[in-house]
Amino acid sequence: MKRILMTALLLSASASAAKLQVYPYDGAQFVPGQHFDLRVEAEDVRDFKDAVITLNGQAVTGLVKTTTKDTSVEWTVRAQSLGVGTHTLSVTFTDAGGPVTKIAKWTVAATRPEGFQSLFYKPKARNVILFIADGLGWNTVNAAKLVAYPYNPANGTPTGKLAMETGLSSMATVTTSSFDSALADSANTASSIATGQKIQVNALNVYPDNTADTLDNPRVETITAMLKRSMGKSVGLVSSAFGTDATPAAFASYTRRRGDYQAIADQYFNGDVKPDVLLIGGSRDFIPSTSPGSRRKDTTDWIDGSQKLGYQFVSTRTELNAATGSKLFGLFNIDNIPSYLDRAQYKGKETLGDFTDMPFLWDSTKKAVETLDKNPNGFFLMVEAGMVDKYEHPLDWQRAVWDVLELDKAVAWAKEYAKTHPDTLILVTADHAHSLSVYGGYDATKGPGKREAVGTYEKAGFPTYGDQRDANGFPVPETSRTYAVGFAATPDYCETYLGRPQFLDPTVSNGKTGAEAGFVPNPKICGEGAVQRVGNLDPASAQGVHTADPLPLFAFGPGAENFSGVIDQTEIFFGIARAMGLDARTNK
Amino acid sequence: MNRRTILKLLGAVPVSWWLGRASAQTAATVKFSELYGRVTVRGVEYSSKLKALSGQKVTMSGYMAPPLKPKLDFFVLTREPMATCPFCTTAADWPADIVLVIMPDGKELEPSVRGLTVTGRLDIGVKKDDETGFVSLVRLYADRVQSA
Repeated sequence: MKRILMTALLLSASASAAKLQVYPYDGAQFVPGQHFDLRVEAEDVRDFKDAVITLNGQAVTGLVKTTTKDTSVEWTVRAQSLGVGTHTLSVTFTDAGGPVTKIAKWTVAATRPEGFQSLFYKPKARNVILFIADGLGWNTVNAAKLVAYPYNPANGTPTGKLAMETGLSSMATVTTSSFDSALADSANTASSIATGQKIQVNALNVYPDNTADTLDNPRVETITAMLKRSMGKSVGLVSSAFGTDATPAAFASYTRRRGDYQAIADQYFNGDVKPDVLLIGGSRDFIPSTSPGSRRKDTTDWIDGSQKLGYQFVSTRTELNAATGSKLFGLFNIDNIPSYLDRAQYKGKETLGDFTDMPFLWDSTKKAVETLDKNPNGFFLMVEAGMVDKYEHPLDWQRAVWDVLELDKAVAWAKEYAKTHPDTLILVTADHAHSLSVYGGYDATKGPGKREAVGTYEKAGFPTYGDQRDANGFPVPETSRTYAVGFAATPDYCETYLGRPQFLDPTVSNGKTGAEAGFVPNPKICGEGAVQRVGNLDPASAQGVHTADPLPLFAFGPGAENFSGVIDQTEIFFGIARAMGLDARTNK
Repeated sequence: MNRRTILKLLGAVPVSWWLGRASAQTAATVKFSELYGRVTVRGVEYSSKLKALSGQKVTMSGYMAPPLKPKLDFFVLTREPMATCPFCTTAADWPADIVLVIMPDGKELEPSVRGLTVTGRLDIGVKKDDETGFVSLVRLYADRVQSA
């Protein structure tokens, strides 16, 4: 008896030898008609016999079988879609180890009434303007408000709120995560907003696969592609980061590797979205490799190429404001567009170089809306304040926070637009958070870098931001009493509590390689007079990192009720789909 | 000679054996701010100074970017000390005004965080290194590398 039991155990162990993966993953949710690629991968295969792949009991047709490795078998069928309901994919795979079965259940929820009621249905929102500040956790929003609207020192009352916090129709707190990690990066988080799926770190709108090619992974159709395909809406993408960076890329491209910049640039013009308005930094990915400064490996020139496709090309704020085209392509810097403080206040030659006429986010938002608005079917516009995150990573809280204020002015403009276009839903949210925290006041007259000048509670008093304001009405960062702001996740670095007109990395290399490679506080910053802080990240970390902290979502206008309470980031996708009545089963 | 010995040598007598090879001609000094003329969205234009000095011996001072390996037959010279290894990341977070320094055949350098002064032949134009895939716009074929 004992021997029989052992044989049975061995058999069952060998029966599960082949490892099966099914994409879309078990638990995936879609909107009706959303395209996705179905892929089944069997690894550790010994002597493949057969496989039965059924969807809701029916054999799946059109599957293409491949063998990437000697020990694997894969099946792929692209551009599938489903109607409303729960769907079950069943895979029974048999090799020398015996049969293995894997089930994946997928849910497709209605985004508008079905049947008779559909006759009376009209979508609530015709247009959506989605603002994403990269790295805008709740604490970063709060820091921006504290700077822009200082407390009244006479009675401690707030002097105002940000535009994004005022006149809300609804509000939610958003939690983030990746397909393969509790912590998220901008690629998978923006992809979650774009497709409603959980996506791997560094991936854009694709599931994992077992091939080396990063561009052949199973894809999930983006909301922008569906809005174009099934509703004929226009799409606009605006970012202050380099334009092939993860957040704008997530609304028009597909790749396993967010660093596929050249492929992402190409997909803007020959992918399934083809945004009508693209206003970004980072021209280096759009100019031919023969131009010094290009990052491309071929001679494609999208500045020329875009004009052949009917785009009006603009490269300065002046040209942008004067543009009248129905399709716009704007590149405003060879790399990232520097922070608001660098553009509007410091204006350092070394930072700006020859780029002295770059648009503010509100300029780009306004021109994008005016351009997209020409389409009677409506539009979807994503505006990214991309540099918030890029300055939070190196712990430069001032540059990050003033970029939030720049975004807020763009939000204020959008809210004004919505007054005369009440069928416009405005959302303001983030992709992931950083560990920025306001924990005290700082007496800048004693600084820089004096720990004794940090005041807590009533000793913090009220900072004096706003005693001087720039031409846009924003406070200048230099004032006698500031905030003590820090980050929870840091490398070793020197804290001065103050900003500087010339950006400096918080750390520099220790000059070592391999296992000894690491980073030490930037001696230039330490030399300003600073408190040296011991970091809490791996010594090989050069900068701060994203956190799992929750994010705000502020909603204005029709369909805003789809966003309330504590929601997962993927629900933003479904909320937009419901607000716009997106049903991708039909083509326009 | 082990690695530690070389390090000591470099520290004590900064690469002095190249000094003899450097000719008596006075090398023009180039600053990082003098590398480029205009930088537009269509790309980078070299400064007239850089174009005039191409092929000639120049001296530049800067910092070594985080290195790729323990011994260097090439490295990247930057205006400021940096935290980003240009070879290790695909992101464009490193500045445009970096200079690739190629060491003479058979000469290698230890990684360093000190300021460095490099004298060598200036070469400009887009050039891709086949081994690393790194694309450089400005190169110095070094005769001499010294602590600044």
